[in-house]
Amino acid sequence: MATLSRPYAKLGGLESAGGSASPSPIARMRGWLAAWLPAIPLLLLVSTCLIAPVLVLIWQSFTSMGETGLSLDLWFKVLGQHANQDAILTSLVLAASCATVTLIIGAPLSWMISRMLRGSRAFWLGLLNVAANFGGIGLAFAYMATIGSVGMLTLIVQGLGINFEAPREGSLPALLMAYEYTNVPLFVLLTIPAMAILRDDWWEAAQTAAATRLVFWRRIGGPILAPFLAAGWLLIFTWTLGIYGIAYGLAGQSGATAVHLITLQIGSALQSDVLLGPGRAAILAVVLMAFATTSLVLYRIILRRAMRWL
Amino acid sequence: MAVDAARDGVRSRAPARERLRAGGRISRAARYLFFGAVLGYFCIPMAAVLIYSFATRWTANVLPDGYTLDWWQATVSNPRIQSAFSTSMALATLTAFIDIAVVVPAAYWSRVRNARIRHVIEVAAAVPFALPYVVIAFGLMQFSGVVAPQFQGTFVLLVAGHAAIAFPFVYWAVDGAMAAAGIERLSETAEACGASPMQIVRLVVIPNISSGLVTGGLLSFAASFGEFAMAQIIGRGLDTVPLWSAEMIRSYSDTAGSYNRLAVVTLLTFAVLFVLSAVVVYWNRGQTVRLLPGAGASDEGGRR
Repeated sequence: MATLSRPYAKLGGLESAGGSASPSPIARMRGWLAAWLPAIPLLLLVSTCLIAPVLVLIWQSFTSMGETGLSLDLWFKVLGQHANQDAILTSLVLAASCATVTLIIGAPLSWMISRMLRGSRAFWLGLLNVAANFGGIGLAFAYMATIGSVGMLTLIVQGLGINFEAPREGSLPALLMAYEYTNVPLFVLLTIPAMAILRDDWWEAAQTAAATRLVFWRRIGGPILAPFLAAGWLLIFTWTLGIYGIAYGLAGQSGATAVHLITLQIGSALQSDVLLGPGRAAILAVVLMAFATTSLVLYRIILRRAMRWL
Repeated sequence: MAVDAARDGVRSRAPARERLRAGGRISRAARYLFFGAVLGYFCIPMAAVLIYSFATRWTANVLPDGYTLDWWQATVSNPRIQSAFSTSMALATLTAFIDIAVVVPAAYWSRVRNARIRHVIEVAAAVPFALPYVVIAFGLMQFSGVVAPQFQGTFVLLVAGHAAIAFPFVYWAVDGAMAAAGIERLSETAEACGASPMQIVRLVVIPNISSGLVTGGLLSFAASFGEFAMAQIIGRGLDTVPLWSAEMIRSYSDTAGSYNRLAVVTLLTFAVLFVLSAVVVYWNRGQTVRLLPGAGASDEGGRR
């Protein structure tokens, strides 16, 4: 509140409420309006298109099949189905392995780019920025054109006389490879600022104390960077859980033989099943929401701990 | 693996003490290998798509059997693709302008007047940040079915949905620009000089946050242009570029050349995104980091 410019602060009903007489309702209303009016269009947009939809989904998942009153029937039914259990498990496994691979490739990449000279740094940041924005169906197609069954790399390797079979387009390894195309750049771009925290002086100081590189990374570098890397892992995990476009492009076409993912199940429940579809999709959406919220909360906690070093 | 990372370094000039980023000859080779692999991973798929868009038939040999410009010609002159592109362009442009129009006043007011607005916005921004677009789109479909069924499947609803999921990009960019410009002091000064609130916004705020406006606008444009889940769920009956691409990728009939046309459209989409990213990077020389979806949250950890 210290930043309030004085003339406005005097007008505002909210901030200057400590007046002698309690203001009339109209004056109060005016004060409220003065405090919130410019934000109202945004708040309207956000409440109708983000908050309300989320609440409607949660509500719908508990009011099953047109019955009145709350019930968990549909929850048991949906979560009891093998395909849905499979989808939840596969999504979690895929997200966790994607995030781990991203961490293994992204952490060194991020560290090295953060220590580059300006020119090459700009080149890599630009490249990663473009790759991070590429996704969806286009990326699914690029994957198929590269190592699909008749993709370029597949043909090259086979042309060398090696008996090589590309992973099926709807399989987990294929999804993982395609997902990494956007995950690694996102991870690097998110963690690069944290890499600047580790100062070069500390390594010199550690050397003066006769520390080896290994000791330095285990005692100083690792512990300082770990929370940021963990936070990056969690974000990639969350985002991977929710990827739909790439999965639809790659796995969608093989139909029943493809992997089950939560997002794909939501999409197909909407398209196939008019009567039960929305309820079923709502439950899967709430499950997805629960995972995402949990990991976002964890992410915030971890980041707050990491802040100690700033 | 962080240890290996440290061993690979950049440019040792053999100083008295070993530098953290310095590395030996072996680790330098390993580093080149690593960067080469990463570069290949990012560039080869694009090359494959590029070649695909010029290929006549490409199913047996390492390189296509022949090359042709027909796909480009046919795709660019195809009325359906043209209309998909213009729909997507209109969608993305509207999304960007609506977001700027609603975010700038709110962000400005939260800085000069009512700090509570910030808390509300930050909670709202966490929704598209964390929740998958499929979930939001599905919720929006259900909600609009209850409140305003006549809007279902329309362009208007899709614009609103895109504006809602893309608004954090604009907010983070604009808010960052406002912080950098010190907008509170500027507007206080303008007030002291007797400027009206409208004058302040027009003559002081907007000129000082132009980089944030450009960045936020382009990012929300890009987010909307490539968005697929929401377009598919609430934009039935519309024809955007991602929806067209999804139809093509599913109708596997390579002989009809649908994959070649898809290659052309993918490249065109990529070109649009590339130009947008290039402008963003150029505009914010070296500060790409702040612009990412994580920026709001990672600001706490990342701002230096």
